Amino acid sequence: MNSLQLSQTLFYLIEQQPDSAAAVNYLRQQVDAFHTSPQKSAFYRVFTALPRFVGKQPLTVPADMAFALQQARPGFTVSGWTRDRLARVWWLLQLPADEQSTYVSTITELFKAGELNELVALYSALPVLAYPEAWRFQATEGIRNNIADVQSAIMLHNPYPADYLDEAAWNQLILKAFFTDKDVTQIIGLNERKNARLAQTLADYAAERRAAGRSLPPHIERLM
Amino acid sequence: MDFLDSIRGMSFFDMHVHMISRTTDDYQAMADAGVVAVIEPAFWMGQPRTGVDSFRDYFATLVGWERFRASQFGIRHYCTIGLNSKEANQEALAEQVMDILPLFIYKEGVVGIGEIGFDDQTPAEEKYYRAQLELAREASLPVQIHTPHRDKKQGTSRSMDIAIEHGLAPGMVIVDHNNEETVREVLDRGFWAGFTIYPFTKMGNERMVEIVKQYGPERIMINSAADWGISDPLAVPKTAALMKQHGISDEAIRLVTFENAVTAFAQSGQLSLDDLTQPLTIDQSQRFNGSSVLRGGQAPRVDKESTIIR
Repeated sequence: MNSLQLSQTLFYLIEQQPDSAAAVNYLRQQVDAFHTSPQKSAFYRVFTALPRFVGKQPLTVPADMAFALQQARPGFTVSGWTRDRLARVWWLLQLPADEQSTYVSTITELFKAGELNELVALYSALPVLAYPEAWRFQATEGIRNNIADVQSAIMLHNPYPADYLDEAAWNQLILKAFFTDKDVTQIIGLNERKNARLAQTLADYAAERRAAGRSLPPHIERLM
Repeated sequence: MDFLDSIRGMSFFDMHVHMISRTTDDYQAMADAGVVAVIEPAFWMGQPRTGVDSFRDYFATLVGWERFRASQFGIRHYCTIGLNSKEANQEALAEQVMDILPLFIYKEGVVGIGEIGFDDQTPAEEKYYRAQLELAREASLPVQIHTPHRDKKQGTSRSMDIAIEHGLAPGMVIVDHNNEETVREVLDRGFWAGFTIYPFTKMGNERMVEIVKQYGPERIMINSAADWGISDPLAVPKTAALMKQHGISDEAIRLVTFENAVTAFAQSGQLSLDDLTQPLTIDQSQRFNGSSVLRGGQAPRVDKESTIIR
């Protein structure tokens, strides 16, 4: 993955949004100031306060931009995102990644203190963060989360889980997706990561649903 | 409410309910419906805690303020203490929580270790489940097992296998959140079978009636597991009324909604049938560390029939 190219593409996408001059101006100022003096407190302040400066409108994503993002990180998409979500992921890419433990602990603090929209942005960012193998546990915490939008951010249209989760964690993602009525066809790697253990667990689940007189979730038979 | 008439005079023990998430209206309604005692198992808060102090305060609340709050409505509040399976996955924090558990599990009114067991069935969950089974054995306390929502059948079998492996007698273990697919094995192996009447996700109470008809009332007990989700703190009395409607005997209803839970958790030495049959005097002007459930000028018993709220 090319982080610099990705960062530039995301920023260009923000610039392309209608009436985004003030937002772009704010982000430029903040990133310049942060590069001059990379204070953790400033990093946190900008990440948290972003929505009030960049807005929360849905993004317009031209086809060529979507293609460029796919080139920079296969499977990565920002379709259906809002401006603050995009800007937050872009901002995460501005954190220096030269020292792993500082990098990981700085972002982990954001996860710990995150409210709903921050968590959505953070889990969306997993496929483009540095040290991808360092986020495996955090990804399982996202699947364990109880808030539908947060679950969706890690489960749906996100290439990180298929790339990095082991079989047990992957199977939990699929099961949790069925349990929480997600559209499983939006899970990246659904077919590629089918496995025998998952098929068995889903068969038990189907039996339990039938015993309770409940219907089966759509597409479950594809994985059984 | 019609269902209340049919069960008037009966006493109920909701052996799994998270009252910390419920209002005083719920306490009042439960008391009015005949709930005389509850067990609040330690669980998570709907989102992960980030430090051991949050656990400490939570456990302290269960044996402190929440118990007091319940008593203000004539309800005896017991709890089980433990590290829940979801948060067992944060291993660094889990270690710290394990260190403070001995401070709480020997307290008065703590009737077991719970709710523990499996959620995702990860190695970390297994590690802390086993460690807490050891704790329960040392303390001679019953164990309240949360069985997983996902991969339930296998997770339930595995939970029981591991309990046996750690030398726990099945009679000291209450396996909770059962359904049609798990109940036979749990009963055949001599464990207690808890059923959670919780809309949409767990058991409906018509299904529960069928289970009691099929398996009888021995070693079966029901609860509401009411919490911060859409749940019903009156699930136990409502199910009792439904069982009555379907011709299940009063004696069987009493076992399933009251006495079996008393028998199982009385093994802790922290509650007894005698305790529960003594009325608890309600004095809502009592205080806990200076705090009362009443706020300035409130009447001790709110009149629900009046549309005027003063």
